[in-house]
Amino acid sequence: MTLLELDNVSVHYGRIQAIKDMSFTVEEGEIVSLIGANGAGKTTTMKTISGLLNPSAGSIRFAGKDITKMKAHIRVVQGISQAPEGRGVFPGMTVLENLDMGAFGRKDRSGMATDIARVFALFPRLEERQKQLGGTMSGGEQQMLAIGRALMSNPKLLLLDEPSMGLAPQFIRQIFKIITEINSQGTTVLLVEQNANQALARAHRAFVLETGEITHSGTGKELLANPAIKEAYLGVG
Amino acid sequence: MSMTDGPTPLSSAKAAQSAADREGLTTAPGASIAGRRGKKPGSLGQRWNALSRQQQWCFLIIVVVLAYLLPVINPPIITTEPGNNFGLACFDMARFALIAIGLNVVIGYAGLLDLGYVAFFAVGAYVSAMLTSPDSAFLKIPYLWTIPVAMAVTMFFGVILGIPTLRLRGDYLAIVTLGFGEIVRILATIIPAMKGQVGFQSVGHPPGTAADGNPIFTNSNGVPWYWLILTVIIIVLLLVGNLERSRVGRAWVAIREDEDAAEIMGVPTFKYKVWAFAIGASIGGLSGALFSGQVGFISNQRFDVYTSILFVAAVVLGGAGNKVGAIVGGALVSYIPLRFTAIAEYKYLIFGILLVVIMIFRSQGLFPARQKLLAYGRDAVKWMFKRDDGEHGTGAKRTTGTAQEKGAQA
Repeated sequence: MTLLELDNVSVHYGRIQAIKDMSFTVEEGEIVSLIGANGAGKTTTMKTISGLLNPSAGSIRFAGKDITKMKAHIRVVQGISQAPEGRGVFPGMTVLENLDMGAFGRKDRSGMATDIARVFALFPRLEERQKQLGGTMSGGEQQMLAIGRALMSNPKLLLLDEPSMGLAPQFIRQIFKIITEINSQGTTVLLVEQNANQALARAHRAFVLETGEITHSGTGKELLANPAIKEAYLGVG
Repeated sequence: MSMTDGPTPLSSAKAAQSAADREGLTTAPGASIAGRRGKKPGSLGQRWNALSRQQQWCFLIIVVVLAYLLPVINPPIITTEPGNNFGLACFDMARFALIAIGLNVVIGYAGLLDLGYVAFFAVGAYVSAMLTSPDSAFLKIPYLWTIPVAMAVTMFFGVILGIPTLRLRGDYLAIVTLGFGEIVRILATIIPAMKGQVGFQSVGHPPGTAADGNPIFTNSNGVPWYWLILTVIIIVLLLVGNLERSRVGRAWVAIREDEDAAEIMGVPTFKYKVWAFAIGASIGGLSGALFSGQVGFISNQRFDVYTSILFVAAVVLGGAGNKVGAIVGGALVSYIPLRFTAIAEYKYLIFGILLVVIMIFRSQGLFPARQKLLAYGRDAVKWMFKRDDGEHGTGAKRTTGTAQEKGAQA
């Protein structure tokens, strides 16, 4: 079943068009990666899906509903959750308080214990550090917290904006492994990455974004094998 | 008050540790790191948290009683006499404290820099004056009724100002609010019904006569007014304290920390920002109405930009985000020029220096804020760990273990 569908979406910053007639779908249960260089429109795409930016044209459908005009905070309740670029954890809140904020829009308090347990199981480090302030944690821990916090709304679709940004290679592998695990637990993942190697290897399907347009698409493996992409994004060739 | 409901996590490494122990949580290695960011050991906050609930209440009651008795005791060194009547000085301090509590909601909790707060204060004062003064052409109502009317009107103004401007952020918002502060003052000058510099004489006051037949509430005696405003402050503190601990308070802090992140956590940021503005405005209006009753004369001369800046200084001085800090900051900003009349002329210079010094040595203000934000999350965690204990390390602990094992294998 199609969970997310972008239909000819365009996004402008003032007069500058950041995304041009973009269309793609995310099926339920998939990991989909969007890869591209700086300025390709990856983060813009994410913000448009989560509702922080409004498209100037086109429509977005989520789980069969048109959400083009829906406010970001309502999209969370509908099941779209984002771990923003640069992590965006609340620096003055503890780990636990950050996680608590992630469940802000939820009405079912009973489900929260299960979700906190799930997050702590995925990220044992967060359980150890639950009383530490978000702003005092390392980059990798903040990334864990951002993902964990996004999971607290029990989303159908998890948006991850550059989860590997600024992390050590070892950490990157770990984060991607956890992303695969989150997906295997039934959450659909849409991932934006510059680290094309990991992003393609882990994805069911992937799209390559260049200056606001999708230029290539295919399964992760196909794109990994594509010589043009190898040359442009994988540093091989 | 945030400080009254038990220990505040992370106020120090020790407090965090003891809080963790009390809640039966495993000790976080990070707690000590985070704690270092907080207050120094032996700080006021830590000592406060070390007290039991009963001790805290006893202490509070003593403080409140002393506060009520302050103008009666008229302590020798603290008193502002002979330069200024101490009863009136107490009223003025309390008025500033109330204003600071209101502005603290806007600046401290929601992180919206409002440089035109005097506008709300002015609106409240004018509402009260225009509905009671014989100089006004409006219908007259008893003074006490003007207080809720003033609050409602300023709240309305808060919403009116908030809806277009709260789409702006940071500096832009500050500039627009600065403009709003001036607009109200200028409107008071050019609208004939608001009587510009001439203003309104003999604004009403609460009813009641003393034994000698004179009214209790007069312009020359600040003490009854002080008791009235002190009572108002206590009520407002209780209400604001409840808000602070509620969902609304958590939403405000999230907005202050990272507005975009708050929005994608499901916080309707715009709605909560307008609420912060409206609530802050109504408290400003409330203090304006009380001020206009006590002074008895309102004109456009009292609501300039400097006053706005003084209000902001009060909040920042006390520690943005902390109610107790706001009260102390507000009272100090009013007290210093009254006590040291010789240097009152230089008050802006002194506040400037004071602010710089405080920002260097106590960058979070005199009383740094640290709110407790967990609402149902706390219950969820407690419940989870209880379940763990009950089932001998099943649930979260066990899954944690397996995840770690998986990590080790991989």
